[in-house]
Amino acid sequence: MTQLVKVARIQLVNARMVLGLPLLVLACVLAANIVIFMAIQAPESPGDAPMTGALISVYIVTLVTHVQTMTQMFPFALGLSITRRDFVASAGLVVVGQALLYGVIIWVMSLIEGATGGWGLDLAMFDLAFLQQSNVVTQILVYTGPFLLLSFAGLWTGIVYQRWGQPGVWVLMLSLGALLVGLLALIGWQDWWQPVFDFFAETSTLVLFAVYPAVIAAVLAAATYATSRRAVP
Amino acid sequence: MSVVSLQGVTKRYGETRAVDDVSFDLHENRIHGLLGRNGAGKSTAMRMLTGQEVPTSGRIRVFGENPYENADVLQRVCFIKESQRYPDIFIARHALEAAAMVFPNWDQDFADRLVDEFRLPLKQRVRKLSRGQLSSVGVIIGLAARAPLTLFDEPYLGLDAVARQAFYDHLIADYAEHPRTIVLSTHLIDEVADIIEHVTVIDRGRIVMDDSSENLRSQAVTVSGPTKAVEQFSDGHDVLHREDLGGFTRVLLAGVPSERETASLQVEPVSLQQLVVRTTQFHDAELAGAGNGPGNSNGTGKGDRS
Repeated sequence: MTQLVKVARIQLVNARMVLGLPLLVLACVLAANIVIFMAIQAPESPGDAPMTGALISVYIVTLVTHVQTMTQMFPFALGLSITRRDFVASAGLVVVGQALLYGVIIWVMSLIEGATGGWGLDLAMFDLAFLQQSNVVTQILVYTGPFLLLSFAGLWTGIVYQRWGQPGVWVLMLSLGALLVGLLALIGWQDWWQPVFDFFAETSTLVLFAVYPAVIAAVLAAATYATSRRAVP
Repeated sequence: MSVVSLQGVTKRYGETRAVDDVSFDLHENRIHGLLGRNGAGKSTAMRMLTGQEVPTSGRIRVFGENPYENADVLQRVCFIKESQRYPDIFIARHALEAAAMVFPNWDQDFADRLVDEFRLPLKQRVRKLSRGQLSSVGVIIGLAARAPLTLFDEPYLGLDAVARQAFYDHLIADYAEHPRTIVLSTHLIDEVADIIEHVTVIDRGRIVMDDSSENLRSQAVTVSGPTKAVEQFSDGHDVLHREDLGGFTRVLLAGVPSERETASLQVEPVSLQQLVVRTTQFHDAELAGAGNGPGNSNGTGKGDRS
């Protein structure tokens, strides 16, 4: 365990960059959205509250950060005689901690958003209607789940690049694309659209945004570990 | 005592054998030179014995255990390589801080002194460091880590002569105070000739020389004089290299010639660099000769020297 903490500290030796950059991006996106909505809202009727999907930016940045965890930090760590096992485990530790931290931060932002009347514009960027929970813990988990999913997806993509290079990443992306298209085709062909819609409508937000992502994240974590075994720095 | 042992180790990448049935030992508290041409297999061998690559076949033991994914072994190993990449988000200081956390014997005072001496700008982004500054990051980590097994793979690309000399001086001084097993892999053989105590030369994935510097130095000589006398003298020894000029001949011999008539001959010691270069060429020529059928290789050459 001490070894894992040590390796995690190496990943966070530049914590300001690792943990701070996504938050900086988030702050900039928030500022940009406030400006944009101020500009477009002025002449409009203040009828229904505007909503922005800009929150997704911080999730995407986190994914990219963790691709780099594997393409840049992994070779460095192995150069310092750290085992793949220890590195992947501590990367998992960092990801889980970071996801929870960001979950809390976004929850706090949603509180501020509520208190300031949607940044004075009735703007909803954090406190999105379809994510709302009645309890603090599940609310934070709903924000955290997608971070877990995307971070581990980033780690796996990164280690696939380390292991098989650019061609490996292409194969991975094309396979995912083919899988998705195939799935859509299957649903269309079997006329399953109604059950699919029902599934999303009936599944609770907590399960959809926290439980399922966490399960997929666990699978991705296992894939990351397996791929790392023969990865060379 | 041997700290590292490779037995019949082969690493294949597709059709190429980067390392081909190699066996050698590294001894405790000794400075080894792992020498050879580009692509000879030095780096591959070092990557395998630090667990970064897995051999196709053969057995590797480091401190008596398989190094692959072995944290107990690896924390006693420090491998500094020229090709080491650092995360883009790092400044130079971060690399040293990370190393300080990992290596149990890390000496921060020593590291600080080295930073001064190598004039490493600690606050500079790693991406903005010059080739030489990047090399000094590796050199500082390698020295200050004081790992029981420390490997330097071409550690000083881009370092100026003064900085290289500083590296050698610190290496020797610190080694005297804190003995450990050191491997130096380099092309600058002349510069390290006085430092290394044991020489292992690898060529085309095979070991062509593995002996103590002292033995090698005493065994190899150049002999020059009238062709006939030189040929008489060298009979029965490995002629690694031969130059003829008029009636005069100059040969590089391996294996100490016994007391013979040397009145008309000039016998001189050979530099390690010369010996390594000529041995490698000799080995290459032998391989080429073997490809042309039997009897084509140099008649005086026996290939193995023991």
